[in-house]
Amino acid sequence: MPAATDGTVAVSSLSHTYGAESGEGTLALQDIDFSVAKGRFVSIVGPSGCGKSSLLMMLAGLRHPTSGEILCGGAPVKKPDPERIGVVFQEASLFPWLSARKNVEFPLSLRGVPQKVRTEKALHALELVGLKDFAERLPHELSGGMKQRVSIARGLVQDPQILMMDEPFAALDEQTRFSMGDELLRIWDETHKTILFVTHSLSEALYLSDEVLVMSARPGRIIDRIEVDLPRPRTFEVMSSPRFVELRERIWQQIRH
Amino acid sequence: MRMTPAHVRWLLLLVLLVLWEALPRAGVVPTLFLPTLSGSLLALWQDKAEYFANLLVTLNEVLIALIFACGGGVLLGLVIGASGVMRRLMLPLASSLFAVPLVVLYPLFTAWFGIGSESKIVFASVYGLLPTLLGTAAGVQTIDHHLVTVAASMGANRRQQILRVYVPATIPTVLAALRIGGALVIVGVVVAEMLTSSAGIGFLISRYRTLLDSENVFAAILLVLFLAIAFDAIVQFVERRTAGWQRSGQGTGDGASFA
Ligand SMILES: Nc1ncnc2c1ncn2[C@@H]1O[C@H](COP(=O)(O)OP(=O)(O)OP(=O)(O)O)[C@@H](O)[C@H]1O
Ligand SMILES: [Mg+2]
Repeated sequence: MPAATDGTVAVSSLSHTYGAESGEGTLALQDIDFSVAKGRFVSIVGPSGCGKSSLLMMLAGLRHPTSGEILCGGAPVKKPDPERIGVVFQEASLFPWLSARKNVEFPLSLRGVPQKVRTEKALHALELVGLKDFAERLPHELSGGMKQRVSIARGLVQDPQILMMDEPFAALDEQTRFSMGDELLRIWDETHKTILFVTHSLSEALYLSDEVLVMSARPGRIIDRIEVDLPRPRTFEVMSSPRFVELRERIWQQIRH
Repeated sequence: MRMTPAHVRWLLLLVLLVLWEALPRAGVVPTLFLPTLSGSLLALWQDKAEYFANLLVTLNEVLIALIFACGGGVLLGLVIGASGVMRRLMLPLASSLFAVPLVVLYPLFTAWFGIGSESKIVFASVYGLLPTLLGTAAGVQTIDHHLVTVAASMGANRRQQILRVYVPATIPTVLAALRIGGALVIVGVVVAEMLTSSAGIGFLISRYRTLLDSENVFAAILLVLFLAIAFDAIVQFVERRTAGWQRSGQGTGDGASFA
């Protein structure tokens, strides 16, 4: 079934109302339409509370939209399918009773991957995010940013065709943020995954993406689609180029009010 | 060397033991009220066969009641905690039952189950079951549901969600509940034995009391203390092995016990 194994995403006329059953609800998402071709790096930006996390939850099959359709790899999304879609959540989402390594191994153990392979892959993923030395620590012994990096390692180790990341670098300092971004770009380049990346940082979105989707304040709609035509590989200097500044200004104008 | 809280605790215990020996010996306290520690230990040693036989009776009752109280309490607590309807129906009932001094009902238990071990087991099971149930139900309710979503996103099916998320997440509260429930089981058995019975440590306590044999009363009390402390140490040991991750916000992390 080749269709189901490629990494395209297509969302059509998706709307969602929270608490629709109990009469008056909150319209969180309205008429969302977009598609992402396989292997693209697409960022979603928008004001806080506009429904970015909700949208990812629906794309990952963790919540059903009130209306509309979601296709990933040509097949409708009904329930979570970690080989197709992996999620890195916004909040710290590590199991507090498991060490960093065991947390990263968790999705593999659900699939019945043998212990030896599991440990190997987990340690490799932790190395990618710079936490190999902290593999045996419990989450409460790690800083906020370190926990987030473990979570990223756990997303990577699942090796999905589509990786969805909800503000994964929010808890990191500027420097670590960009080096993690570079690392992510390197992994993306090697694996040709489709990446959907939610962020509050416009610079980060432009620095990383092929395309930026801009959402309005609640109810969330997609009000702009920006093709980021900056050359790759991107370096730190790209951020002071006129084109970068121009695109940043364009997004800023739309989400500031 | 600095005094850690553990050192202070041991020191306090030592002071207490020394006082126990010294005060009656010096005649500050009449030995009828408080016999010397050495006298009590000697009494324990001299009648060791009788104490051992009665300890076995008590231990047997405690173990069976623990199985009922803890098993039943955890099971019912899980069921009640996980279902909204059951929670609203049963929790208020269980809480108010817990507030009733069940010991006044003990005569009823002897009428129904006789004065042998059965009545002690039933009484202590009920006595220990309620706090275990309440604690477990509270633990299930406080689970972070986001973690269940996280597991689901990684493909965990319902069974895996229960075994790999709900169970480990509730272990600390269940163990805390077990600690209280188990202690109450021991109290329940001993008190029941003291009221009406023909065997067990509690029976020895009340028999020697009527004989005004303080040394033996205290010897039996020592055994009960030993039983309670041993149980607590076991639960704490399990807690340390399985629930260490919960101690994050609790400072030094060493439990408040001598174990
Ligand atoms: N489970 C829920 N029940 C009811 N309302 C919800 C729920 N989850 C989110 N909402 C509402 O939906 C809207 C969108 O929330 P969402 O978390 O998707 O925003 P977001 O864009 O991710 O925000 P942020 O950038 O702050 O993370 C908010 O108004 C929020 O109050
Ligand atoms: Mg969000």
